[in-house]
Amino acid sequence: MNPKELLFSTLRHEVTERAPWVPFAGVHAGKLTGVDATEILTDEDKLVDALMEVNRLYKPDGQPVVFDLQLEAEILGCDLVWSKDGPPSVANHPLADTMNIPCRCTLPTPDAGRMPMVLSAMRRMKAAVGETTALYGLLCGPFTLASHLRGNDIFMDMYDDDEYVKDLMSFCVDSGKKMIDMFVDAGMDVIAIVDPLVSQISVDHFEEFLSEPFAELFRYIREEKKVFSSFFVCGNATRNIEVMCKTAPDSISVDENVDIIAAKAVCDQYNVVIGGNIPLTSVMLHGTQQDNMKFVVDMLAKLDEYKNFIVAPGCDMPYAVPVENTIGAAQAVLNTADSAEMVKNYTSATFDIEVELPDYENLERPLVEVFTLDSATCAACTYMMGAANVVKGTFREKIDLVEYKFTEKENIARCMKMGVTNLPCIYINGQLKFSSIIPSTEELEEAVNEVL
Amino acid sequence: MSILNEISENLQKGKAKIVKELVQQAVDEGIPVKQILDEGLLSGMSIIGVKFKNNEVFVPEVLVAARAMNMGAQVLKPLLVESGIEAVGKVCLGTVKGDLHDIGKNLVKMMLEGKGLEVIDLGTDVPPEKFIETAQNENCDVICCSALLTTTMGVMQEVVDAAKNAGIREKVKIMVGGAPVNQNFCEQIGADYYTPDAATCAEVAVGLFSA
Repeated sequence: MNPKELLFSTLRHEVTERAPWVPFAGVHAGKLTGVDATEILTDEDKLVDALMEVNRLYKPDGQPVVFDLQLEAEILGCDLVWSKDGPPSVANHPLADTMNIPCRCTLPTPDAGRMPMVLSAMRRMKAAVGETTALYGLLCGPFTLASHLRGNDIFMDMYDDDEYVKDLMSFCVDSGKKMIDMFVDAGMDVIAIVDPLVSQISVDHFEEFLSEPFAELFRYIREEKKVFSSFFVCGNATRNIEVMCKTAPDSISVDENVDIIAAKAVCDQYNVVIGGNIPLTSVMLHGTQQDNMKFVVDMLAKLDEYKNFIVAPGCDMPYAVPVENTIGAAQAVLNTADSAEMVKNYTSATFDIEVELPDYENLERPLVEVFTLDSATCAACTYMMGAANVVKGTFREKIDLVEYKFTEKENIARCMKMGVTNLPCIYINGQLKFSSIIPSTEELEEAVNEVL
Repeated sequence: MSILNEISENLQKGKAKIVKELVQQAVDEGIPVKQILDEGLLSGMSIIGVKFKNNEVFVPEVLVAARAMNMGAQVLKPLLVESGIEAVGKVCLGTVKGDLHDIGKNLVKMMLEGKGLEVIDLGTDVPPEKFIETAQNENCDVICCSALLTTTMGVMQEVVDAAKNAGIREKVKIMVGGAPVNQNFCEQIGADYYTPDAATCAEVAVGLFSA
């Protein structure tokens, strides 16, 4: 079963051999290729290059193409403030001072705003990896879009003028349908409706204003477009999980503010898949590779079987998430049993294994040491080892090359002794030269030449 | 039910017009202004704060309650000035530079006002020097910084540093909050208090003035 089929199988509510993995690398994709968030969201070639790198290094079963909840707002007249390390923010609200409903003639079209770039990137990704990777098309949920257009007054409107809120929501549903048409046409396999503000309202308000619009969007995706759907929410949406399920998406995605195992019990009653919820800041951004592996291993250990569950970050990953942290999370999903063993060995208090490090000052020839989680199973490790093998082929007996896999206890002890924290990485003559990001053949050759 | 209870209950339901009328009625009945403020308006807002913290009410409920409080407070304001009653303390508040999110910041403002504090709202995208300048010029005792983004929370460190450089670090307390912020981060940047929600922020802030 290829990765995409595995994810589809989960979305069809079947039991699978492992849990599927969907890293939400939105602007973070740019970190892999050294381009900033603004470039990722405005330059098609840079976006596609970065997404291909996400696909190569993180081995996703499914991946989003663009994670930008401001796409529709921009088309509908909001000004955006751009950032180099995050998605843009909405700077003003066209309906802040007027309770009008915009003309349907302003709804998104393939030519509007950044849509040409986004749709073309989707088509290119579909052609490049669409056979094996499920592609997610993300649209801004109707409630968050309504707040982009109206501003915070939308919350008070729920008390003051419920008809206006319903009319505005209806406009936003129509906008959503236009986006869905375009995304499905561009080959997207899963349509995710991302509505972070859902966590800010009560169950009563959800039922009064959101239930019908969301149910209609998911019906449209399921019955008229015949693709899978997902409902993304951020923040503490615990109380709203059940009403979200009742709108009948195929899946729901939550962040670390929700107890995912408790929420899964609710979702299971409605046969809805739940995905999440590696903590974005404390684990992905500020944690270590081991923390990320451990979080995923521990989360998966709480499941009775791999059914109705997707492993994913809590939401759009921060730009600066260390690459090795996502690689660690990926490894833990793709090879859970091995990873559990690594985490156990790493965290076990005593290491009675004596490791002798090479005498780096007096080597006979340059020594290239590749530290990997396991080059046989971890994609990034495979490429890191592959790059080293190519260079070994060039330099032959002039250099020594060795791989240390983290699957061996002795190698964990070696990593600890050398202070290696991020895998995969390459040391040359005992010095860290490349960490997580795979060097090109030229870069690696140059690094070897420096010490020859 | 006493009229003060009625004010509190209607405030909690967001009935701004009724609250305004009841406050005027209470004034006309000769109830001391400070008592109307404390036992009617602030007590109602305080209950909303607790319910918000406990996930019993959410953003819309807080916003309409705060609007009702402000409508009632408008009636009392000239009378409070006349009687020489001053705010418990003064706080300057803003979402840090690079960040335009203001829902959380606005909730904090309402909760602070609900505790009888005077709040200078600097809005969003506030540079560190603006916080410091305002604290100095307006004589604020507390600076509250909000951030929703992992990429902007770092600006809070700059606020702390700017306060040190301006020589007012000992005089002001710096409070931080927002989705990505936590206690560790607060300690790491040398801020004084992290609070996980708007209601707790107001409780801690008002505690600083009564200490």
